[in-house]
Amino acid sequence: MSKPLSSKDWFGKSAAGLVLGFTLALGAAGLFQRLAGICDTFFSTKGQFAMWLMSPVWALTLSFCFMFRSTVRAWLWLTGANLVVWAIVLILEGPQA
Amino acid sequence: MKLPTDLVKMYKEIHGWVGIVSGLALFIAFYAGAITMFEAPLQRWASPPTTLAPAPSLARTPELVSKVLAVHPEAAKGYEIHLSVGSANPARMSWTSARGEEAEHGGGVKHYASLAADGSVQVVDGGPSEVAQFIDVLHQQVGLPFAHEVAMPIMGAIALLYTIALVSGLVVLLPSLVSDLFALRIGKNVKRMWLDIHNVLGLFSLPFHIIMALTAVVFAFHDQFYGAQGVVFGGQERGDRGAASIAAAPPPASLSPLQLVERIERQAPGFKPEVLVYGQGRGGLPSLRVQGSDARFGLRAPTYGMAGLDPETGEITSTDYMPGMQDGWSATVTSFFALHFGNFGGNAIRWSYFLLGLAGAMLFYTGNLLWVESRRKKERQAGAVEQTRATKILGALTVGVPLGCIAGISLTLAASRLLGHSATYGLHSAIYYAVFLGMTVWALFRGAAGAGTELTVCSALAMLTIPLSSLMVGPGWFDSESLWLVDATAVGLAVLMVFGARNARQRARYGPSDSVWAFDTKA
Repeated sequence: MSKPLSSKDWFGKSAAGLVLGFTLALGAAGLFQRLAGICDTFFSTKGQFAMWLMSPVWALTLSFCFMFRSTVRAWLWLTGANLVVWAIVLILEGPQA
Repeated sequence: MKLPTDLVKMYKEIHGWVGIVSGLALFIAFYAGAITMFEAPLQRWASPPTTLAPAPSLARTPELVSKVLAVHPEAAKGYEIHLSVGSANPARMSWTSARGEEAEHGGGVKHYASLAADGSVQVVDGGPSEVAQFIDVLHQQVGLPFAHEVAMPIMGAIALLYTIALVSGLVVLLPSLVSDLFALRIGKNVKRMWLDIHNVLGLFSLPFHIIMALTAVVFAFHDQFYGAQGVVFGGQERGDRGAASIAAAPPPASLSPLQLVERIERQAPGFKPEVLVYGQGRGGLPSLRVQGSDARFGLRAPTYGMAGLDPETGEITSTDYMPGMQDGWSATVTSFFALHFGNFGGNAIRWSYFLLGLAGAMLFYTGNLLWVESRRKKERQAGAVEQTRATKILGALTVGVPLGCIAGISLTLAASRLLGHSATYGLHSAIYYAVFLGMTVWALFRGAAGAGTELTVCSALAMLTIPLSSLMVGPGWFDSESLWLVDATAVGLAVLMVFGARNARQRARYGPSDSVWAFDTKA
């Protein structure tokens, strides 16, 4: 059994949640934009929906990032999640570019 | 539900810290937000009877518009025709002179026009009271007196902390959920009682709080979100709406307001048009928008939905924000706004949101009380006989900030009656912050125990200045009977606060003497 969870390393974990949570949210919005086939954001309602998606993804990543066992794990796992999302975004963009 | 104890313990500590950092700001946001549910009636309540000549009929409105534009050609850039005229909209026609950022957030000088009995144009600059709008901004900026672009990111950070507080609070509550759910132990153990109240308020209004937290994050950071999406994924960024230049006066709209209203009613039965907004769209072309409401649907803006119209034919050309005519995506996005604003379902939902808002304010207040109580316990375990300075300061702020906010809003509302036409946004702001800061400083100076009773009594008295101001000005200020509900609500809240003051006094005298809520016996 690894060492118990503690709020002592809150700074490293929440920094990971704040930074990588934001890029993850941006990736999620991008994923939605690709799937919905839109490129305009502010003037289309689908684009607005994509923007709204960022709030729950970012806020919930930040809320749950404390559940990682350590700061290092938080950064690694969230980096991994980012890579997966952004890879799909880039693949979907590929043929169109 | 069983959860690992280390997880619960960790989230309990996180809950305490994010709560204590954001709690007082959230109290102000929720208290002011609850009041903002009745922004429109409050504006009517606070507005002095107009000095303008009675508004011309809709049929005579084209005459008014052409006469005003002859004298004030700058109004052609954008003006509104109010279809219903009352104390909140004293004039048939209004326009705003503001620049850039100022215009985007509803600032600038408003002008109101009417036709005098002899047919000449009459324009006044002071319009309906802006006190309700001040309370709305106070709500949006969690009580911070800073410029919009400074206050909003801070509000966003508070909203993120609020989300963490909701998640962590739920994790902490889950293990004892079943046994604590319907328990409200009012008795000798004060901390237990506050905790039960805190849990009940938090759990039963959780969906409301989730909506508020996530929408607030968007309201704070939408510029940044759109900006980041624009940079990374390309596409058109949010346009600069202040950029439209003053072109030559656009050709007068082919249809008169009366004809437009008739066309709108034919195309959208059930929609109640309230304002026609004339402006210049992209390329300086005349644009026309209708604002109104439809009780069957949620609305995009706090009190209205809108549709784009062709000024020449009256045909509805843009339905993105038109209640009942939106596609699935627009309706979904609108529902996020409507759920925050509580503008669906009429007055029943408005009152529910008002109560949920006050319950939210109580949630944060009880959270602060619990923090102070558990600090006391921890410090006593650590051998301290007296409260530390930090706990004393926090106890004082927990009393001073909420009560300062309540009294400040009450007095600035009542002041609208004394000031009449000389009331300005700045003056209302000055009154609020003077009271707020005065009471907060008093609490810090006197300590939580003394200030708790004194300031609650002060707040109750401040609340009573609201009905007092109504008695002073008389029924001339009331354009409808229902506005007396404002005064009735104020009396109700004042009575609640008198009870609160009595309890605080009891506790200060007879409660545990090592508490921050006890009178300092050495003094």
